[in-house]
Amino acid sequence: MKRLLLSGLLTLCFATADNVSAAVIYAGQARAAAVCSQCHGIKNPSAEAPFPPLAGRDEAYLQTALKQYRDKTRKSDIMNAIAGSLSDADIANVAAYYAKLKP
Amino acid sequence: MKITKSLPLSVLTALLLPLANFAIADEGQKMHQLYEDNCASCHGSDHGGYLAPALNADTLKGRSPTALRTIVMAGSFDTLMPPFYGKLTDDEIRGVIKHLQNTPKLPNPPFTIDDMKASLKVYVADESKLPSKPAYAIDNMDDVIGVAARGKYGRGEGSRAIFINSKTHQKIGEVPTGTAAHIIDYNPANPRWAYVKTDTAEIFKVDLYSMQAVRSIKTGWNGPGMGVSRDGKYIMAGSFVPHNAVILNADTLEPLKTFELEGIDPDGKQVSSDSGMIIGTPFDDIFAIALENAGQVWVVDLKDGFPVTRITDVGHHLHDAFLTHGGRKLMIASYDDSIVAAIDLKDRKIIKKLAAGCVPHVGGGSAVVVDGRTLGFGTNFGDCDKTVVSVWDLDKMEVVKQIPVSGGTESPAAHANAPYVAVDIISKDRRARTVQLIDKKTLEVAKTLDVGGHAYFPEYSADGKFLYVSAGYSGDEVVVYDSTSLEKVASISMESPAGIFSHGRVRYMTRGLSPDEIKGAN
Repeated sequence: MKRLLLSGLLTLCFATADNVSAAVIYAGQARAAAVCSQCHGIKNPSAEAPFPPLAGRDEAYLQTALKQYRDKTRKSDIMNAIAGSLSDADIANVAAYYAKLKP
Repeated sequence: MKITKSLPLSVLTALLLPLANFAIADEGQKMHQLYEDNCASCHGSDHGGYLAPALNADTLKGRSPTALRTIVMAGSFDTLMPPFYGKLTDDEIRGVIKHLQNTPKLPNPPFTIDDMKASLKVYVADESKLPSKPAYAIDNMDDVIGVAARGKYGRGEGSRAIFINSKTHQKIGEVPTGTAAHIIDYNPANPRWAYVKTDTAEIFKVDLYSMQAVRSIKTGWNGPGMGVSRDGKYIMAGSFVPHNAVILNADTLEPLKTFELEGIDPDGKQVSSDSGMIIGTPFDDIFAIALENAGQVWVVDLKDGFPVTRITDVGHHLHDAFLTHGGRKLMIASYDDSIVAAIDLKDRKIIKKLAAGCVPHVGGGSAVVVDGRTLGFGTNFGDCDKTVVSVWDLDKMEVVKQIPVSGGTESPAAHANAPYVAVDIISKDRRARTVQLIDKKTLEVAKTLDVGGHAYFPEYSADGKFLYVSAGYSGDEVVVYDSTSLEKVASISMESPAGIFSHGRVRYMTRGLSPDEIKGAN
């Protein structure tokens, strides 16, 4: 029982450490500027845009959503196409970048 | 029998045909309206292009409707083209593309003095009730900086003139303009009035003390040209669509006289012309206006009948200009000849044509006094290999240097108290994020700032201590730097900021000159 908990914790730690080292904010910034900001803006989308803001959103949520769009378990014509062009590293970087921005 | 049989059919046909025609005409009208309401402020009301490419049967010939649909839906990267996904339905996007691929460029759709009069709106009827001083803390009205925020869609909630106190970097007012604000001018005679012109050619008279529009008038379909006379009594505005200009009473915005812009171009052809820059000068009671396609500069005297002196053969495709020597000399850019022509506004003739890099866009220009010489700085789109900023000696009227910079440029900013001339790099890649700083003394690039967004339209605060830059397109902020240390000191959030206009311009006439220069004017 104890062992299981420990190994579980370890896995969690590794996973977190892995995420931190994998996410490169600058790469995320470049990718966000090239791919996401056209619709979502950097800090805020247009007052009249039908697109949700991304700045300051939870990092894990952004990653999950992008991966779901990519494997089409979450449906959206435009997001399925756009997320399809992102690698795992892109997704980690972009999510880390937007999560750190203050809206 | 035959008759009775065929009768219903013919009746049916007679009934149905007009209906079908009506439906087609109706659809065309609907799509035209859709174009006017969403696209025309950038692509031109005549389908002839404006800030953005021309969209008509000719220019879109052979283009895949599917590819065009993708651009409309998703927008176009590193341009001002926004994604219309969620704004227009798929049917509307398909419909407007079909409509555009079948519509020729319209021949100069009219907008008359009566149309202008009918468009005059009064928001504050009794101006005497307005506050007699600013309703916010500010040391000097020259500290006001205005930003033309285009709004993501070039219209709507995000389209505003936003005013900032350039000492505190706080917003002091926002004036909604309906469509993208393009130019902000200030009244040289009374610090409370500003004039904002939009891409759809409305002019708003803005009270800077109470930060609200008091009147507006529509002067055409599209076009940014606007100038204010030195006595603050007149505004002149010019359009791309249609080809005319108008002089307004600056107080009431009532139109006084319109001008048809046409003349003989440098190749000897009679042409109808877009309006280029319009400028008032502290030197005299005149306006100067560039006729882009006719290659002429007209000098309009502000007296009875507003007589015009035409200066011809200035250059092919004129665009913008700046003043020097107490406002007596005008340096005007010719895109197609890649020269800047120096014009004497007193003698009303061309002094000299100077090399200006490649497709010069001087964007308001700059002039600085260095070691006793007055140097003019000119940016250029650099659509060829030559990406340089031109420096001219404005007394001798000769080229001093062509400074290599990292890409095409659109607007130089300078200030008598700031060590650098800032130029915005506009080349369509990572360089578009940057602004380069040229040392006034060495005339070499000293530093590159990574501003973000599509960085353009640098402007110094009136005291010269701060450099403002728009991080436009998707950048959505104005970034402020210390002019000397070049440290970032503030960020002001807004939607798609573009031109930045310091109130100080009314004192130093051309950016970089000392206010004393203007005192030397007539």
